[in-house]
Amino acid sequence: MPESPAATSSIYDLGYRGYDGPRAGRRSALQTLYASSLRAAFGLGRRTSSKIVPFGLTILAFVPAVIQLGVGAITSGLDANIEIFEHHDYFGYVQIVLVLFAAAVAPELAGRDQRNRTLSLYFSRSLSRVDYVAAKLAALTSAMLVLTLGPQLVLFVGNGMSGDDLGGYLRDSWDLVFPILAGSLLVSATIAAVGLVIASYVPRRSFATAAIIGLFVLTLAVANILMESIDPAYAQYALLTSPVAWEGAILWLFGEQPGSDNVLRDATFEGAVYLAAALATIAVAAALTLRRFLRIQA
Amino acid sequence: MPLVATRGLTKRYGDVVALDGLDLELEPGVIGLVGANGAGKSTLLRILLGLVEPTSGSAEMFDLDVVAQGPAVRRLIGYMPEHDCLPLDVSATEFVAHMARLSGLPRAAARERTAETLRHVGLFEERYREMRGYSTGMRQRVKLAQALVHDPRLMLLDEPTNGLDPEGRDEMLDLVRRIGNDFGLSIVMSSHLLAEIERVCDYLVVIEGGRLVQSDRIGAFTGRTETLTVEVDGDGAALAAYLRDHGHEARDERHVVAVDLVDRATYDAVRDGAISLGLGLVRIEQRRQRLEDLFEDEVELGA
Repeated sequence: MPESPAATSSIYDLGYRGYDGPRAGRRSALQTLYASSLRAAFGLGRRTSSKIVPFGLTILAFVPAVIQLGVGAITSGLDANIEIFEHHDYFGYVQIVLVLFAAAVAPELAGRDQRNRTLSLYFSRSLSRVDYVAAKLAALTSAMLVLTLGPQLVLFVGNGMSGDDLGGYLRDSWDLVFPILAGSLLVSATIAAVGLVIASYVPRRSFATAAIIGLFVLTLAVANILMESIDPAYAQYALLTSPVAWEGAILWLFGEQPGSDNVLRDATFEGAVYLAAALATIAVAAALTLRRFLRIQA
Repeated sequence: MPLVATRGLTKRYGDVVALDGLDLELEPGVIGLVGANGAGKSTLLRILLGLVEPTSGSAEMFDLDVVAQGPAVRRLIGYMPEHDCLPLDVSATEFVAHMARLSGLPRAAARERTAETLRHVGLFEERYREMRGYSTGMRQRVKLAQALVHDPRLMLLDEPTNGLDPEGRDEMLDLVRRIGNDFGLSIVMSSHLLAEIERVCDYLVVIEGGRLVQSDRIGAFTGRTETLTVEVDGDGAALAAYLRDHGHEARDERHVVAVDLVDRATYDAVRDGAISLGLGLVRIEQRRQRLEDLFEDEVELGA
């Protein structure tokens, strides 16, 4: 064995110490992966350029709510209660921002470890493949919640400030809390699950981003065209495959009807059908993602 | 308690048999796993790691079944894959600490051991930089560090010198030996280069075609015969002929004469031969027989 340079070997020679402390198991590994994936979603701990897109889109998602907050501040104390943006419409306004966020972030969460071939390091630890998918799905859903639930809460405050009776507003609007929470979670989980499944099968980042945007735009366009061109009694089933399915579920949760310019107006589904379609989308996407990671060679 | 015990371990990929009824029992130590590309080395390691499941047969580590008790087994091992596995957009510190956390270490312990481990493998100030800028040697060290950071009982190293230049190769082998000898961890290291195994390991497992060829202490392989190499400043062929005439096994190998070392009389014969032929002795050294010599026929070495 050739001698290593004396200088370096003396630095190496600090002696090895073992580790006798506590070792957590699967649960902790899952939590660690969840936390690190959530951080990665916003580019935290990465170079600045990784933060620009997620933070930019997050800010965009808040813009309508902040406008309402401003309006609320200006009209505070006036007799008029001016609501430019309403809760049940909100996801429609920022829909494209939400999809872009998933398109930018899902490849980071589901494709990066495949590209870097880090999976063998994960799966040779106590983390199982099921844990891995669960952590990634939870992380992306949580990241999406920042963009869905966050603005809804700002909007809630903004609407409350508008007008002269905040206390009264809170009492009157108490029934909005459940739809806001459930709706935000539904939208977040749906976009996250669809984004993640595409990213898991398309490890190339740019392709995955394009595919995610493409899928959302395409299914929406197809549903719109079919509703215009053929009998809505049949065409309405196309709605269930597109992002407007969650919109139908949101309207139902808030107890609202689709507006006259909404493609959903010609459909005859009960609101619960939209909810079921969105939940089925989540389940199928999650199952396919799991299948991908159970089979992938790590 | 055996480190590794496999019984009839078999793995088929369609028609391809990667492991063919492998029976193996290994005691703790520094173990070299040698075989050609496709001999089944990586498949064996990957089964032990729980990354693939065996088609039939069983494998145990520390008396735990690798399939049924996979998570418990995997807490005790560290794995350094052959292939690239590093995310290049984070620093070595962040990455290794993350891996330590995934292995169950609490945050503070993970941070502390990350710093220590990276120091042990020889990464200093650069550990805070993105790994994008690292050399191949530095990346291999990070791969080693992430396998060591949680203080495993056993490290599985798949071709740890892959892609390194000769200097980097030497440093990596020194590190592996230090971990085995000084740190006292068990190591199973695969390589297609016998010379590397010989330098680092004290136990050797040879597999070929998914079957066990031989499994023994290195000394048992190389101890059978020892060779004296003699360098002279003149006609080596004449010295070899002289030694053969006097009953020694001697060969002329271009620059040196190799003679089988039987006892002290072999040295005397070399001295007498040099004097009688009027040759100057430049160097005499005892050469352990190289493992390659033993396996020339048995192991078709990969690139």
